[in-house]
Amino acid sequence: MDIARRSKYSVTFYEPSKAYDGYTLFSVAGRNDVWIINMQGQIVHHWDLPYPAGEYGCLLSNGNLFYQGSVPIEEAPLPTFGGIGGHLLEVDWDNNLVSKYDDLYHTHDAQRMENGNFMIVRYVPVPKSITSRVRGGIPGTEHEGTMWANVLREVDPNTGKVAWEWLAYEHLDPESDIICPLEQRIEWTHCNTVQILANGDILTSFRSINTIAIIDKKTGDIKWKWGPGELCHQHDPTMLDSGNILVFDNGAHRRSSGPSYSRVLEVNPKTNRIEWEYKDNPVYEFFSGVAGGCQRLPNGNTLITESCLGRIFEVTLSGELVWEFVNPFYSYWQDQHQNFIYRAYRYGPNYEGLKGKKLTPMRFNLLNQLYGPSAFEE
Amino acid sequence: MGFARTSLQGVTFSIPRKAYNGYTLFVPIGGKDVRLINMRGQVVHHWDMPCVPGCHGVLLPDGNLLYAGQEGTGQLTDLMGSGGKLIEVDWDGDLIWKCEDEFLHSTFCRLRNGKTMVLKWIPVPKDIAAKVKGGLSGTERDGVMWTDSIQEITSCGKVVWEWLAHEHLDPESDVICPLGCRDEWTHANAISVFANGDILASFHRINTIAIIDKQTGDIKWKFGSSHELAHQNGATVLDNGNVLVFDNGLHPCGFDFGYSRVLEINPKAGKVVWGYQNSCWAAFYSSIMGGCERLPNGNTLICESTSGRIFEITHNYEMVWEYVSPFYHDVPPFGRTNIIFRAYRYGPEYEGLRGKSLDRPV
Repeated sequence: MDIARRSKYSVTFYEPSKAYDGYTLFSVAGRNDVWIINMQGQIVHHWDLPYPAGEYGCLLSNGNLFYQGSVPIEEAPLPTFGGIGGHLLEVDWDNNLVSKYDDLYHTHDAQRMENGNFMIVRYVPVPKSITSRVRGGIPGTEHEGTMWANVLREVDPNTGKVAWEWLAYEHLDPESDIICPLEQRIEWTHCNTVQILANGDILTSFRSINTIAIIDKKTGDIKWKWGPGELCHQHDPTMLDSGNILVFDNGAHRRSSGPSYSRVLEVNPKTNRIEWEYKDNPVYEFFSGVAGGCQRLPNGNTLITESCLGRIFEVTLSGELVWEFVNPFYSYWQDQHQNFIYRAYRYGPNYEGLKGKKLTPMRFNLLNQLYGPSAFEE
Repeated sequence: MGFARTSLQGVTFSIPRKAYNGYTLFVPIGGKDVRLINMRGQVVHHWDMPCVPGCHGVLLPDGNLLYAGQEGTGQLTDLMGSGGKLIEVDWDGDLIWKCEDEFLHSTFCRLRNGKTMVLKWIPVPKDIAAKVKGGLSGTERDGVMWTDSIQEITSCGKVVWEWLAHEHLDPESDVICPLGCRDEWTHANAISVFANGDILASFHRINTIAIIDKQTGDIKWKFGSSHELAHQNGATVLDNGNVLVFDNGLHPCGFDFGYSRVLEINPKAGKVVWGYQNSCWAAFYSSIMGGCERLPNGNTLICESTSGRIFEITHNYEMVWEYVSPFYHDVPPFGRTNIIFRAYRYGPEYEGLRGKSLDRPV
């Protein structure tokens, strides 16, 4: 374990006058915990879930936690693919179960919709007649001869009734939606995000083909697609109030011979122009080959999750660092000792979901002594 | 700039009884300083060079410093690793020897016979370039694809031996990484010489390290292009005949998680016999450059270039010394960085340090 980079934990930097005041929620790969910390890094709330993260939790406006948990790797039907999920649940503030839904083929992301349904990303095999026409990827690396893609499925968690479904392979083009040449042909799409837009349309992200897309919920048509040549294995696109799309551009298989770097960018879907971008200086100081999150905050700042190194940080529009947190919680997961966070969220003190909630660190005195900022002060 | 990662500098960790006691030489990219530090991170000697590195320096057994510098005006000056000048100075910085050629790049190897093995860019003949597979289509440099020659030169600059990559590589099977540019076929970035004169070379663009027979020029052994290496650097010959290499992990095949490894490979058996990666994989990663050196006590000194971090581990992966360079420079297009190409450790008994004053930090 290197010392320089792995010895500073909790909140390592904070400019109160510039950061967006609030509470940050995160879960850790391989652990069953969801934490809420204050701006100083003190733990103010905790859920202990029945399953490790697969991949993250978020706080709903009704004050409940929507959590995606992982089945053990041995039980996953497709263990080599990454993004293992399987359990979706909504629990209240005090960890009482509100609803749950199990789906072994769930992966990477899901949303709890306003109508109470869950919109789930899941795996589905691609028909062989299409597989043979899909271009790109490393030849001969289909999974036991099968190529997988993704389906987005809206399901009522109480009855299991499927309200809507969208099969990626019915709407993508094998000729032009080409798999990255260094990815396996196990998957065509590798969907890692599903977002429900205000008008009901779906915003999604397909890692293997470096593409983000907006799907018309009524017709299933792809209204907008963007990415190849600019994006590289991206995650977490979200639509901003302006209509622009914010996305975490990972950069693991970037087309260049230069160093790896990640960036967060904002693209205008009307013009396909990048209107804002955050990169570190030097560029390679910010990099997460997989996962990654980005959230535009009400004050114009952006909260970024650099997943592989368990770092959550906040930057202004001009790229100035105003808050930084390094996750002190580790797990032994997928052969690594790591503090991986898939996606983190900041909630302002007036967020509906926090109304009436006790957020004092005193309830977690011992944990804060071990993992709070005072444990790492010099 | 991330705060947590940049706030600890100098020697951040040290277990003196387990580390290989000595002096570490390194050159911050973008600066003109060569520094020799002791185990406490104090600078005990300093050379002020006339140009920035392209890409590093080495302390020779005779006590001189041999330095690959960047000349900055040649036609390939924007290529990664561009150099142009080999400069040898004595302990006090006085010029002993230099060799200038705009196509010199990256690294060199001073031989026991006093000659120097260097890397120079040469254009690939058009008919061969057209057959070279891989890389991003249409990204040749003004229509030209460059490759490497390895030359053995005398102190007068006379070339006494030369090896041209395009005469020994196969356009069909020595394929450029699909995400790389076709401005270069090979991009050699390391040369190291066996006791019998054979040469170990590292070709970054085609993910290949190779042993070249000095007598015939034939490639006796190749490794890496079947997804074993990912844009490696720092390949070096070990006393036991094995090869040590910094496997960067840039453009890894079949997965996205970026992480680096240092591997020891037995060329006779054709397999990896020792390897190091961090228990949190992403916490040891340098997508470009990278160096590794086996020390006399069996430890390995590793240069994680992009974080300006040099560290030493035991055979059992225990960290016993770590240093983060506090020397930053503006290096386009990367930004303001403490990046270091390679670092070397010299024991106090090293010939090149005999009689040198190393007690007082400068």
